[in-house]
Amino acid sequence: MATIGCKDFPDYLEPWMEGDRHPDALAHVRDCPRCRSLVEDLKLIQATAQEWGRTESEPPAHLWNSLRAQLVQEGLIHQQSIRRGWLTGWLPSLPRPALAGAYLAAVIAVAFGLSGPVNQRINRARWLEGTQNSTTPLRAQFASAEMNATPPSLPDSNPTVTASLHNNLAIVDNYIVLCEKSVNEEPENELARDYLFEAYQQKADLLAQLSERGGDGR
Amino acid sequence: MSTTHFVSGTWNWNGKAAGVLATGLLLFGATTSAHRIEKHFTVEPRAVITIHNPNGKIVVKAWTKHEVMVIANHASDKVEVAAEQTGNRVDLRTQQLADTVAPDDLRADYEVSVPEDAELQIHDDSGEVSVANVLGDMNVETVAAGVDLEDAAGYLTVKTVGGSFQCIRCAGRLEVSSISGSFRLLDLRSYHVRAQTSTGNILFDGEFLPNGIYRLKNYSGVIEVRFSAGDSFDLSATSLKGPVNNEAKLTPPAHPQRLSSKFGYALGTFNAGRAKVELTSFDGTINVRKRN
Repeated sequence: MATIGCKDFPDYLEPWMEGDRHPDALAHVRDCPRCRSLVEDLKLIQATAQEWGRTESEPPAHLWNSLRAQLVQEGLIHQQSIRRGWLTGWLPSLPRPALAGAYLAAVIAVAFGLSGPVNQRINRARWLEGTQNSTTPLRAQFASAEMNATPPSLPDSNPTVTASLHNNLAIVDNYIVLCEKSVNEEPENELARDYLFEAYQQKADLLAQLSERGGDGR
Repeated sequence: MSTTHFVSGTWNWNGKAAGVLATGLLLFGATTSAHRIEKHFTVEPRAVITIHNPNGKIVVKAWTKHEVMVIANHASDKVEVAAEQTGNRVDLRTQQLADTVAPDDLRADYEVSVPEDAELQIHDDSGEVSVANVLGDMNVETVAAGVDLEDAAGYLTVKTVGGSFQCIRCAGRLEVSSISGSFRLLDLRSYHVRAQTSTGNILFDGEFLPNGIYRLKNYSGVIEVRFSAGDSFDLSATSLKGPVNNEAKLTPPAHPQRLSSKFGYALGTFNAGRAKVELTSFDGTINVRKRN
């Protein structure tokens, strides 16, 4: 019989993902399909992250649905922020070659968002550490995607479009910096986390568009 | 389905062509092009029209015929306009014929007349998109092109990167998103509006229908909503780091709510609270103004 409940389980998640599985958490995961599913999803994210850059295969559709449901349940995002046309509307419209990368960016952002309540419940320092741990690889992935998306030697057949994409990328980058600052100042603020989450999605979408156009806005 | 008639050609610069071109110029305003095609397609109700154009002006208007008429103009030999019908769908596409094409050569302008119940799917990277009197569902995606809708209805989804968006007398359901584009939503009669931009401004001057949901969100910039004394809505306006200026006399919520902002917020019910209005900004200004 498990001695911990769903509310406590997130406290065990971080060590769990590092291989340190507490007996209470193990017992709970055995009994609770919801938390078992969460663990499986996070493992899949981890595996996908390791694969990124080596493959362009499309990740399973159920992964996002499951994470989204979890986020809504956790109250990290509102139903309105995942309606057709914003988040769910974006991902299917991403070009195939860039889909894996953009998807990964989104799911890492999701994982970052997911770590919020875990760390909040522990303390501010751990939350901030969690933020850093989550965003550092994300930034590295974005930097790499950005380099691939903007090869300098290609001719520019539509400078208006290229300029617009780059200007908006700069806007979103600035927006990410300010949102991160705000999240660091008030880790418990749901609205600030929502804005940061959306900024990462926007960046992933812009990089996907640049990548599809070979970096020159075609 | 069949093409009822087709006119296409490359104008030669002789006297006759110049005369016809002058007439064409009168018909097409300032549009000057060396290639013009005109195609007509007979369609059934609820036809789907797709337009994919990298650069140029797209004007779509509804008419009473069960027919789609396409007039396209482009100046360069390095692109062509393909117009095809498959079942009840008409696909229009500007195609690049050379590996490298100069920016101006990519441009093609379209004038399309469609039945008013037509469904539209438009992609235009740069230039502008204008749609009037079309009542079917519509999806418009652009990068830098601005989008203007007038008297549209149905399920309208618009996504731009930097292009602005204006919707006048639109009804139905509207979802619009952008990064730096500004939105003007005027004389709306939509029961569901979701508008989200990062740095753009949002102006909403329309009706709040009973049971309607109106969610406007930006990062910076100004969100302005105008209301009349007879409107009825629940308001939740929050700017994380900016001011909220509210002229609506609100009844405070019955249950205290957790606030996300130490700065600007306005929460409460105006009249019976029939519609739901949610306004959110990060560090922008939110104005809720009484209509004159």
